[in-house]
Amino acid sequence: MEAGTLSNPVLRARRNLTDRIGDPLLRGLSGLAAALAVAVIAGIAYEVIHLAWPAISKFGIGFVTTNDWNPNPLVQRFGAAPFLYGTFVTSFIAILFAAPLSIAISIYLTELAPRRIRRPVATLVDMLAAIPTVILGLWGILVLGPFMHDTIEPALQSVLGFLPIFSGDPSAFGYLTAAVILTIMATPIITSVTREVFETVPGDLKEASYALGATRWEMVRQVVLPYSRPGIVGATILGLGRAIGEAIAVAQVIGGAGLINGSLFHTGGTLAAQIASQFQGTTSELQKASLAYLGLILLVFAVIVNVIARVIVQRGKIKDVVTETEAAAL
Amino acid sequence: MSKRLLGALIAALALTFAIAACGSSSSTSSSSSSSSGGSTSPLVGAGSTLVAPLMSKWQSDFSSKAEITVTYGAIGSGGGIEQITSRTVDFGASDAPLTEEQFEEADAQGDVEQIPWALSGTVPAYNVKGAPSNLKLSGEVLADIYLGKVTQWNDPAIAKLNPGASLPSTKITPVYRSDGSGDTYAFTNYLSTIDPEFESTVGTSTQVKFPTGVGAEKNDGVAAAIGQTDGSIGYVGLAYAISSELSMPLVENSAGEFPEPGVKSVEAAAAAVSKIGPNNEISLADLPASAKGAYPISTYTYVIVPLETEKATEMKKFIEYATGEGQSYGPDLDFAPLPKQVIAAGKKAIAKIGG
Repeated sequence: MEAGTLSNPVLRARRNLTDRIGDPLLRGLSGLAAALAVAVIAGIAYEVIHLAWPAISKFGIGFVTTNDWNPNPLVQRFGAAPFLYGTFVTSFIAILFAAPLSIAISIYLTELAPRRIRRPVATLVDMLAAIPTVILGLWGILVLGPFMHDTIEPALQSVLGFLPIFSGDPSAFGYLTAAVILTIMATPIITSVTREVFETVPGDLKEASYALGATRWEMVRQVVLPYSRPGIVGATILGLGRAIGEAIAVAQVIGGAGLINGSLFHTGGTLAAQIASQFQGTTSELQKASLAYLGLILLVFAVIVNVIARVIVQRGKIKDVVTETEAAAL
Repeated sequence: MSKRLLGALIAALALTFAIAACGSSSSTSSSSSSSSGGSTSPLVGAGSTLVAPLMSKWQSDFSSKAEITVTYGAIGSGGGIEQITSRTVDFGASDAPLTEEQFEEADAQGDVEQIPWALSGTVPAYNVKGAPSNLKLSGEVLADIYLGKVTQWNDPAIAKLNPGASLPSTKITPVYRSDGSGDTYAFTNYLSTIDPEFESTVGTSTQVKFPTGVGAEKNDGVAAAIGQTDGSIGYVGLAYAISSELSMPLVENSAGEFPEPGVKSVEAAAAAVSKIGPNNEISLADLPASAKGAYPISTYTYVIVPLETEKATEMKKFIEYATGEGQSYGPDLDFAPLPKQVIAAGKKAIAKIGG
C-alpha cells in the first residue's frame, strides 16, 4: 500500500507537501500552546505580585506572622497568620480523615464488594465530587453546623475536653465544621485515584499471596497497599490541594474571624475563604493588596504541594519500572 | 464515533459555561431588557444589594416609560464603589457614603457625584429559645453584646429593659457579616455613635473586626446562621428582616421609645435630620431626642455617578426618576420615601452631571 501511494506522482507530491508543512506546523502550534500555558502562569504570578505590591512593601515578610486582620479604615492592620493557621488546621484534619476513609472505600470497591455493586457505589462516590461547593456549604450551615454544635462537639468535649483544642463552647461555625466539609470534598478525589491504583495491582501477586496462605486482610496489607504506596500518597496530596484551595464552602461555615484561636470549635478563616469573602468589597487599596498577598501565599502553597506530589509520583514510577524489570529478570 | 460525539458535546457544554460565566461576571442583566434602539443608550450599574429589590422595580418601570434600559448587578456596595472607580459601569450604588480615600480614587478619572436615592434601615434579629418575641434592647446593650461584654441573655442589662420577661441563661452568639456590607456600615455607625468604646475598638465601616461572634456571608447567610443557632443575634436589611420570619428586637431610640422597625419609623428618623454633608452624605445614627417614633438604625443608600459621561442625558433622567417618581414604589418594598430637602439636594447634584 505504501509503495502504491508513492508510485503515484500526484499523491507523492501532495504527501511531500503535507510532510513539509505538517511537521513544522505541528511543532509551531504545539509549541505555541505550551508557551501559552507558561505565559498564563507567569502572567497570573506577575498580576498577583503586582496587585499585592502595596501590602508587600508596607508589611514585608512580617505579614506572614502578624496575627490580625482589621479592615477598619482607621486601623488597616493585616496579617496572614490567622488564615495560614486556619488553612493548615482544616486541611490537615480533612486529610487525616479523608485518606483512611478513601483507602477503605477503595479496598472495599476493588477487593471485597460483590462485582455488581462495585460500579454503582464507585459512581456514587464520584458524584460526591460533583456536588457544587456552595450547596455543600449551605448544607454545612443548615444541617452539619447544628449537628456539630448539638452532638459531635459536646461528645468530643466530654471525652477529650482536657485538650485545649476541644475547649470552649461548641459552635456551629468554626474550624472543625469547615474541616468536616473539606473531608467530604477530598474523599471522592482521593478515592477515585486510589481505586485506579489498586486496580493496577497485578493479579499474579495477589494470587501468589493467597497461595502462600494469606488471608484477605494479609493480602491487602502485604501486597495491595505496599504496591500502591506512591499512588496513595499522590492521591492524598491531590486531595490536600483540593482542601487548601477550597474557598466558598469554607467561607460559609468557618465563621470569618481574623484571629488564631486554639480551640477547633472556634470561628476562624482560611486563605482562600478570606479572599473569596472580602475581595469584592474592600474598604481600601491596602486591604485589596493584602488579600492579593494572601493569594500569593496560597499560590506558593499550591506550587509546593504540587511539586511534592510530582516528586512522589515520579519516584513511584521509577520504582515500578525497577520492580517490573526485576520481575522480568526473574 | 460515539466518543467523538461525547467530546464535541463536552466542548460545547464547556463553551456555553464559559460564555455564561463571562456574561455574569461583568453584570447581571435584567431579563426583560430589550435594546430600545433609537438614540438612547442603555445604562449599566452595580453595587448595593440592599437597594436591589427597589431597583428591579425601577428598571422595568423606567424602561417602559423612558425607553432606556437599565442593567443592574447587585454585587454589594464595596463592589459598586470599585466598579465606578474603574469606570466599568455607568453608575455605582453604595449603602455607605464614600470615604475620603475612596473619593480621591474615584475622582482620579474625573469628579464623581454622590446622591442619596433610597432610604431604609438595618434591623437586628435574634433567635433565643424561651425568650419572648420583640425583646427590648438599647444601643448600649447591642454595643456591649458585640464587644463581648454582655454574654448571656439573662444579663441584668437586658433584664432591666424587659421587666417581667423570662430570659434564659443561653450564651449570646453575635452574628456579623464577614463580607463587605452596607448593613455592617449602618450598624457599626449607629453603635459607634452610641458607645465611644465601640467606636475606638471596632469603628465604623463596611468591614470591621468584631472582637467576638460568628461571621456569615450575605444577608441569607446571616439569617441562616441566626435561624440555626440558639442564642444568636445578628443584623440584616429591613426588607430582608420583614420578609424572613426572624424575631426582631425593639431598639430604643434617642427619645426613649422602642419603635417597631418599618417604613414609618425610618421615615420619622429621616425627617428628624436636616444636616446634609458637602458630598450629600447624611448620617441618621445620631438622632435628636425630639425625634419621636424614629427608628434608630436607619440609613441612606447612594448612587455614585461620574460628572463627565457620554450618557449624561440618560443618567440624569434615571436619577431624576429614581429620586422622584420612583420613590412611590418604596413603601411596598420596605423603603421609606426620601424627605423633601434630600430630593432638593439631589436635584442640585443631578444638574452638575454632564457639565
